[in-house]
Amino acid sequence: MAGFRMTHSLHRSGSRESLKKDFVWLMYQTKGVNDKNIKPKALEYISAAEECGCVNFGDVKSGSILEYSVEEIKKHITDKSRLRGVLDSREKVTKFLRMIKEKDLGLSLVISGLLDEVLAACKEAGVKPHTINFSLGVWGKKELLPPEEILSVTTMCGHHMISPGIVKKHVEMVKNRQETAEEAGKALGRLCPCGIFNHIRAAELIAEMAASEIKAAQG
Amino acid sequence: MVQVEDCIGCEECIPYCTVGALSMGNDGVVVVDGSRCTDCYVCIRSKCCPVDTIVPGPLNTFNDNFRHVLSDPTETTAETGVPGRGTEESKTNDVTGRFRKDEAGICIDMGRPGVGVRMRDVEKVAVAVVRAGLKIPGPEETPLAKVMADRTTGKLKDDVLDEYLLSIIIEGTCPLDKVEGVLRALRSVEKEIDTVFSLGIVLQVDENGYHPVLDTLEAFGIKPYRGKVNVGFGRPLAT
Repeated sequence: MAGFRMTHSLHRSGSRESLKKDFVWLMYQTKGVNDKNIKPKALEYISAAEECGCVNFGDVKSGSILEYSVEEIKKHITDKSRLRGVLDSREKVTKFLRMIKEKDLGLSLVISGLLDEVLAACKEAGVKPHTINFSLGVWGKKELLPPEEILSVTTMCGHHMISPGIVKKHVEMVKNRQETAEEAGKALGRLCPCGIFNHIRAAELIAEMAASEIKAAQG
Repeated sequence: MVQVEDCIGCEECIPYCTVGALSMGNDGVVVVDGSRCTDCYVCIRSKCCPVDTIVPGPLNTFNDNFRHVLSDPTETTAETGVPGRGTEESKTNDVTGRFRKDEAGICIDMGRPGVGVRMRDVEKVAVAVVRAGLKIPGPEETPLAKVMADRTTGKLKDDVLDEYLLSIIIEGTCPLDKVEGVLRALRSVEKEIDTVFSLGIVLQVDENGYHPVLDTLEAFGIKPYRGKVNVGFGRPLAT
C-alpha cells in the first residue's frame, strides 16, 4: 500500500446545490503534541465514518476505500496516519461532529464545505468553531482554467491529481456507453490518493455533461 | 522529468498528465515536455501505460527534488515533517495557536486549481505581499522559505526561478490592519502573472464563525461562502 498523505479541500467548485452534497472532514494530529499511539483514535474515526455513511474515506498511509478494503486500511494505521473522508449531507456532518465530540479524542478535526451549512451543523452539534480558513476564490489569469463543469470535478482532488483531460475522456466514455457514470466517478476517485474525492457527486456531474453533449449532438 | 522508454504510441497516458506535458511526437511515440513536467508522477501511479514504459527520471539536484516533493502529495517535506505542500496551515490551529487572535493568516495557493506555476511568478506575488506587510515564516514551517534568498523582501534564489511546479503555497501572517493592503497588493500583482492562485484567509472566529475582518473583505466585493472550519476538538499546547 502506498504512502498517500495530506490533502487540500478549500477551493472546490460547483453550484450551491451540488456543493450541499459535498463536505470533507480531516483528522489531524500535531507533531510533537498528540501524535503518539494514534491507532485507537483513528479506529474511532473510522467507526464514526462508517456509521455516518461517508461516501469515501481513507488513510494517508494506505489510500482510500475506493482502492482498499476498510480492514486493510485499519491494519496499516500507524502514528503517521492521517484520516479524511467525504460526507454528502449537512445532517451527516452534524451526526459526525456529535459522535467525534462525544468520543473526545483530543485530535484536531476540520470540516470543509459551504460555510452556512458547516456552521449550522456545528451549532446543531453543540460545537464551537475555533479557526476558519475562508476561501477568497481564484485570482490571476482565470482564462487558463478549464470550463466550470470540468473544474467542478477536478477540484474534488485538491492536489489536482485529476486532469481536465482525463475527466473529458471519461465523459466521452459515458456518452458512448463504454462505462457508467458511477464507474467513471470511481475510476477518477482512484487517482486521488487522499480519500476526499466525492465519486458520487462526480458521477452526477459526469452524467450531466454526457447528457448535455448528447443533446447538443442531436441538435 | 519522467521518462518514456519503448513507447508503443497508444496515447493512453496523454490525458492523465496534470499539466499537459505529454504529447504525441512526430515519430509516433509520446514525448515529455521537460519544461512543464512537474514530476507529480500521476502518469506512473495511475498505471495508465499498458506496457509500463513511463518511469521516474533522475532527481539529482536540490531543485529536482524540491519540484517533485511539492508536486507529488505522496511525498513529505523533510523540514516540516508534513506531506503534500508541506504545511499544516490552520488545520491544527486549535492545538498550536500558530495563527493568533490578533492577526490574519494568508494562504496563497500558487498554480491552483490545476494550472501549475513557474517560480518566477511565485516571486512576483511573494515580493508584492511581503512589501504590503505579510511576514513569511522560516523553513521549519513552510517549504517556500527554503528557496527564498530573503524572507524580508520575498525574493527567491535565482537558480529556482525557472522551475515549474504543480503548486506551492505562499503563506504568512500579518496584523489585522494590514489585511487590506495585502489584498490591494494581490489585486495589482494578479495582472502580472501567467497563472492563477487560490486565496485563503485564516482567522480565529467567534462561535458564529464571524470575525470583523470579514467586513473588510466585503469592501473588496468578497463574501466568502466556503471555508475550512477547525472545530476546536484538539487539545491546546497549554493544557
